Amino acid sequence: MTLEEGVKYVAAAYGVIMAVIVIYYFMSARRVATLQRDVQLLEDEARRLQGGAE
Amino acid sequence: MKKLLSAPALFAAAGILLVVGVVLAFWYSPTDSSSMGFSQKILYYHAPIAEAALVAFGVAFVAAIAYLRTQDMKWDRLSFVSVRLGLLFSILVMITGMIWGKAAWGTWWAWEPRLTTFLLVCFLYAAYWVLRSVVDEEQRRATYAAVFAIIAFIDVPITFFATRFLPEGLHPVVIGPGGGGMEGSMAVSFAICMLGMTLLLAAMIRRDYEIELIKDRVSDLKTSLGG
Repeated sequence: MTLEEGVKYVAAAYGVIMAVIVIYYFMSARRVATLQRDVQLLEDEARRLQGGAE
Repeated sequence: MKKLLSAPALFAAAGILLVVGVVLAFWYSPTDSSSMGFSQKILYYHAPIAEAALVAFGVAFVAAIAYLRTQDMKWDRLSFVSVRLGLLFSILVMITGMIWGKAAWGTWWAWEPRLTTFLLVCFLYAAYWVLRSVVDEEQRRATYAAVFAIIAFIDVPITFFATRFLPEGLHPVVIGPGGGGMEGSMAVSFAICMLGMTLLLAAMIRRDYEIELIKDRVSDLKTSLGG
């Protein structure tokens, strides 16, 4: 196998690994964003209930 | 100590080690003189990813036993995120392995012991995923999943030792006595990548586990607030 051929395969393998790590990062960030939104909604709801009780 | 083991600290340490490891692999370790040639550089991430996948399934196995003993849902969550990440790493191993197989052996796939048993691991843990999605009741789902994670783990040591007990396959032994026949500078780069990938897995498990616990807490709060 020539060096050029080897480089293509190595670049493909490392490219796939990097792509998966980046996708994982963005999916994880999206899950955190959803949770933050849910927490915000819960805080608003708790405040509303507290206001109603007073 | 707690800060050192936090997800961001583990991600940072993993990132540094993986970058250092790959730089050493390309500029310090020699290119393999066998038929593999330059494509042998795939080894520095491929084998550590495989090891990390098996470690993730090991964590899932231990957490599954802990769940069955305690019935504490946090162990179910740990087992679940470990299987999910183990499966992700396994898919990466299959893809990078196929690329390397094409470069080194001239074929994308061979039905040899290591590849076949690893494929079986992927199918088993994909079935775990399906099992979780079809059982609605939480406690029952956790129990079934724990039992399944324990049974599925039987294939993990078989996969690891496949190349040792059945040496007629194409796949070489990488981790073994004397570094699996690896030259000194290659072994150093490889060990750094191995440590980096293990830390990356630990960081991902930690982060996903924390997210799952917060999700549970949010869900409980929503229920107690009436929707």
